[in-house]
Amino acid sequence: MENKKGGAGKLAPYCYIAPITLILVTFVIGSVAVSVALGFTKYNIMTEPVFRGIDNYSKLMSDSKFVKALKNTLELMLLIVPLQTVLSIILSVFLVANRKRFLGKLANSMIFIPVICSPAVVGVVWRELLNGKFPVIEKFFGLFGIEPSMLLGDAKTALITVGMVAVWKWMGYYVVIYSSGLLGISNTYYEAAKVDGADRIRCFFSVTLPLLKPTIILGVFLSVTNSLQCFDLIFNLTGGGPNNASTTLVVYSYSKCFSAGAAGYAMAISNILFVVILAVAMLQRNMMRREASEI
Amino acid sequence: MELVKKGFKNVISDLVLIGIIVVSIFPFIYMFLMSFKSTINAYDFDFSLEKLSLGQYEKIFQMENFERYIFNSVFVAVMGVILTVAVCSLAGYAFAKMNFKGNDKIFLFLVMTMVVPSEVIVIPLFLITKELGWLNSYRALILPLPTAFGVFIMRQAILDVPKDLMDAARIDGCGNLKIFFKVVLPLVKSSILALSIFTFVGAWNNFLWPLVACTKAEMKTLPLALSMMKTQFNTDVGLTMACAVINFLPPFIFYVFMQSRFKEGMTLSGVKG
Repeated sequence: MENKKGGAGKLAPYCYIAPITLILVTFVIGSVAVSVALGFTKYNIMTEPVFRGIDNYSKLMSDSKFVKALKNTLELMLLIVPLQTVLSIILSVFLVANRKRFLGKLANSMIFIPVICSPAVVGVVWRELLNGKFPVIEKFFGLFGIEPSMLLGDAKTALITVGMVAVWKWMGYYVVIYSSGLLGISNTYYEAAKVDGADRIRCFFSVTLPLLKPTIILGVFLSVTNSLQCFDLIFNLTGGGPNNASTTLVVYSYSKCFSAGAAGYAMAISNILFVVILAVAMLQRNMMRREASEI
Repeated sequence: MELVKKGFKNVISDLVLIGIIVVSIFPFIYMFLMSFKSTINAYDFDFSLEKLSLGQYEKIFQMENFERYIFNSVFVAVMGVILTVAVCSLAGYAFAKMNFKGNDKIFLFLVMTMVVPSEVIVIPLFLITKELGWLNSYRALILPLPTAFGVFIMRQAILDVPKDLMDAARIDGCGNLKIFFKVVLPLVKSSILALSIFTFVGAWNNFLWPLVACTKAEMKTLPLALSMMKTQFNTDVGLTMACAVINFLPPFIFYVFMQSRFKEGMTLSGVKG
């Protein structure tokens, strides 16, 4: 047995980690390396890449479609994140309060169904719902003076509509995250606040929110990185249109590579998005660390 | 008086709860109902029983390649789960319970790949796959599925396996691999299940990567087929909805039977912290 440990035993751990390491190095590290390298080239997949230095990146700034895609990406994020966060916190508080009742349990399970559903299905079904042929929807939006058939087809409302569908789809996901945060808050805090005479609203702002802060930081950053990468929903709802009104960076990069055949340029676009997401991730780490050291 | 007030409050919260339920599921109810309608009377919104039919489902299975799409989706998701669980638990076991040179460093290196968002690397991944000659193959769809996140989960779970149990098995003459199968895996079943759900739903719903990696019709998966139908049969809403239902059902059925596991699995990536 000692022998075994000395010879093959030393190599054994490396055999265990080899498969996943090979997969990740080939597909993830490899992809990042290819993307960084070819971002500096003019490359159309058919012919050999030609090194052009930072040409792609300097061209980006004068590419009005890129600027628009960047603007759309950030707008979509600013649309989704605050709404998603506020709504899901309120819903979580409400659902946690009603968690022991039948309807509360039912609502808790139903709200998660859109999360497990494929974005392609969500996109196709919502597109169908918003085509103006469904009287109930028509009437509902009519209350607010909105014509649903125009929501996805109008450049002014397309991006907002995509954002709303995304908020709807992912609501259950954030509700689960915030609910587990809420359930982690010990009841003694609320009892102490009650003794001090705080009403429920005061309790929410002075007890719940401060104690939920680490979860909120996590939830906000998840929401930010997810909304920055939104592709499937847009592809199936609007295809990026009308007139690029809902084209985000991922959509633009995809169409540049697979419709226009400018792979090098497309990777430069993705690299910009990658840097943005990396910066967000680093900011999150720092904030979480500070939060942890405060407690 | 107090009782009346409480009853009133309950009614209000019931109404809000019903509102949440309706908003969460009405698109799916619409999807189901429309899938049982024939094309001619699609928009008359008469859902009396005799007007509902399975015609759309019969029709969709006559569509070219449709059985193939279902097979592709099932095969890719199932193989993806098997591959992910296998490679991630093996690596997790090594990182958690074995002493070897570079253990921490390699683990950190792998975990770092988690910051790379999958949507961002689709184009270079396409180029690599093309270079390997794997476009339009199951390999292309399955092999990139395992992530460092799975290793992370499995390592965390296996760290909690008591060393005494493993030592006892070792005294009984078990080798590393036998300990892994007989002692470790049965103890981390719940993590394996959570990882399986997470991977299955991710693979089943995956859209952008199959869209890029598979150009041939017979290699497409269900979400792609659905997305294509939207443009091809723009008028045939019932048929499109039938396809959406078939797409929707597998994760939904699993969800009905394993709700809490599902929530745990799907939010794994968020709760890691």
